[in-house]
Amino acid sequence: MTILYDESQQAIATESRRVMEARVDKDALLPLLETVGEYHRPFWDTAKEQGWTALALPEADGGLGLGLIELGLIAHQAGRSISGAPFLTSSFGAAKAIELFGSDEQKARWLPGLASGETIGAIAFAAGPDTLPRQPDVTFTGDGLEGTARGVSAGLAADVAIVFANGPDMPVLALVDLGGVQRSAVPSFDNSRLVADLSFSGAPAETLAVGSAARDTALRVLALQSVVTAHEQTGGAEALMEIARDYALTRRAFGQPIGAFQSVKHRIAELYGLVELARANCIHAAAREGAADFITAAAAARLSATEAYDTAARDCIQIHGGIGVTWEIGLHLHMRRARSLAIEQGSSLFWEDVLVDRLAGEAA
Amino acid sequence: MSDLEAYRAKAAAWLVSMAPTFGRDARKGLAEADDLALGRRYQKAKFDAGYAGINWPVEYGGQGLGHLEKVTFDAEEMKHGFPSFYFGISLGMPVPVLMQFGSDREFVKERVLKALQGEEIWCQLFSEPSGGSDLAGLRTKAEPDGNGWKINGQKVWTSWAHYSDYGVIVVRTDPTVPKHKGLTYFWVDMKAPGVTVRPIKLAGGDSHVNEVFFDDVKITDDHRMSPVGGGFAVAIATLMIERYVATDSAGFGPHLDRFVDLAKSVQLNGRPAIEDGRIRQQIARNYAMRAGLDSINVRARLMMQAGMMPGPEGSLNKLVAVRSRQKLSELALDLQGSDAFLFDEHASQKEDWASSWINAPTGRIAGGSDETLLNTIAEKVLGLPQDHRPDKGIPFNQIPA
Repeated sequence: MTILYDESQQAIATESRRVMEARVDKDALLPLLETVGEYHRPFWDTAKEQGWTALALPEADGGLGLGLIELGLIAHQAGRSISGAPFLTSSFGAAKAIELFGSDEQKARWLPGLASGETIGAIAFAAGPDTLPRQPDVTFTGDGLEGTARGVSAGLAADVAIVFANGPDMPVLALVDLGGVQRSAVPSFDNSRLVADLSFSGAPAETLAVGSAARDTALRVLALQSVVTAHEQTGGAEALMEIARDYALTRRAFGQPIGAFQSVKHRIAELYGLVELARANCIHAAAREGAADFITAAAAARLSATEAYDTAARDCIQIHGGIGVTWEIGLHLHMRRARSLAIEQGSSLFWEDVLVDRLAGEAA
Repeated sequence: MSDLEAYRAKAAAWLVSMAPTFGRDARKGLAEADDLALGRRYQKAKFDAGYAGINWPVEYGGQGLGHLEKVTFDAEEMKHGFPSFYFGISLGMPVPVLMQFGSDREFVKERVLKALQGEEIWCQLFSEPSGGSDLAGLRTKAEPDGNGWKINGQKVWTSWAHYSDYGVIVVRTDPTVPKHKGLTYFWVDMKAPGVTVRPIKLAGGDSHVNEVFFDDVKITDDHRMSPVGGGFAVAIATLMIERYVATDSAGFGPHLDRFVDLAKSVQLNGRPAIEDGRIRQQIARNYAMRAGLDSINVRARLMMQAGMMPGPEGSLNKLVAVRSRQKLSELALDLQGSDAFLFDEHASQKEDWASSWINAPTGRIAGGSDETLLNTIAEKVLGLPQDHRPDKGIPFNQIPA
């Protein structure tokens, strides 16, 4: 798979950018920060209508048969304009787990809905700081789940979840219908991520993988999602770099644009470097889907994209001075999103270990 | 296999066959004079085998191939530690510029052929004590003298001037106009009376750069390579020639695999250093950074192959790679602890952490300092304003010193 976008891929980028810039606005996103349990419905309606939900799923299951490269392009644009819901990534993760490791029956039951966007999926692997815990908080007891999965993004709205749980003797990756499962909203600094604790008391579940296969499968799902998220982070970082640049060109101090001061212009030039490194790693990782070094490429993309988005959020606000910290200007939307995306699917601490295990030949 | 891959395979095989005679092991322990002599023979071997002047015109002894073939060959060549660097500047900038701007075509052809075969070396006399990044602030002057010119002044940081037969030089011919407008570009005979070359010993112990003094050095007007007062444009053209060179995401320091091997072989607090979180974080961060640069480089190559112009992100390589190599080299010395003291000043900076560390500052300054590169990105790529320049538009001789 080449890392040069072809014409149809470039068209996806241009068209999705046009649509998102026309329909997403900051004024709609700001109130969501202070509302627990709501997401930006016009964003998700647009995603469904444009077919973004179906993009990277097989045609046999109701998808459009494209891949990570195309979904990454959409995610990049979603990151630029701050997506109004986490489902593009969360549902994709759930759908890939079912597509790759589910039975025909499970696929038939869940994939068409996930592809159309009518069904929402979530991933519940982590136990706090443990992205893929040795001892998950949720236990699988033969045919049902017990325990609480904490801090699940999209958890408030999801219809189906993939859960990493303790099996009778070994870990399992379980598929669970969330109808009837008790969920409580986690008020967060980025409320449209719909973070929830999912409390299971005997919820019926089916296994997708057991033992070391459960771990490997879970890591693969996380890596697939992470490449999507890395594109979203890179898009956010790119937008912030441009906002910082535009502000530095117009804002004047001491008789000249602040962008003429090296302390400011070099900071923005450094952001350019971080954005381009992240973009290059994203394109590479998306093109390695299915290859032996995919996890390594995904980890590199995730690390550089997290660094780019966090740094861009920090520096863009700093360059704005006082106006940058106001509620109204909304730069904190990016700052909050930079952190929620940094944590979902495992922080840099997790991906650094994943990467070094591979580079040092320690991976199982 | 694509044509380019076939070219790569053939070049790689040839280079492997040359390695025993000219490569890293053959050079071990050689004094510099002997190493240079070996380098001249290697350059001749390249010429004979059709790997010199790969993207130069056939009429000048080149191969008439594209830039891609050259970058492909360079990337393969880099693996073997050949003594090719004596000719890097010569064939990289001055000689191509001579080909483009030299007026006496017979003379030009003769020089180019000798340079390609390693018989003659050219240097580039740009930087001065009063200006490196601020090239147009240079003070060496050429005054009319009969039918020609007389040069007086000093250049500095001139790589390989002590082995050079000729050089290209930018000098001030008119101090009464703003600084960019009073410069003229010439070539000079480095053996001419009045030229004095004095090597500068660098921090790492080697002396490949020099001070060059010009005392009443007389040249005829056919040495001139630009209009009088038009030298700055040719100087910029010189610097643009090698815009897409073979890059190295290791910043011309050791490969990251060497750091991983080191971390696996030493202990910290009774455990292998590879298990230490601080070490792991640096490995991961450096890997992600280098992988990004590699991907940028691959994309640039694919774009050139497709007939497109690569993006400006290619300019990140030197900035990002060299400064991170500097820090990683420090950490590698930390990892070795007191074992790191043992120092071989002739070790290769691509293979040895101490050599990489001590030579890293040169890498961050030579050929565009980090700060200059950041300015270029900010101004040329992002459209941010130029710095405040108090000397702008002022005649050179009225700029306060």
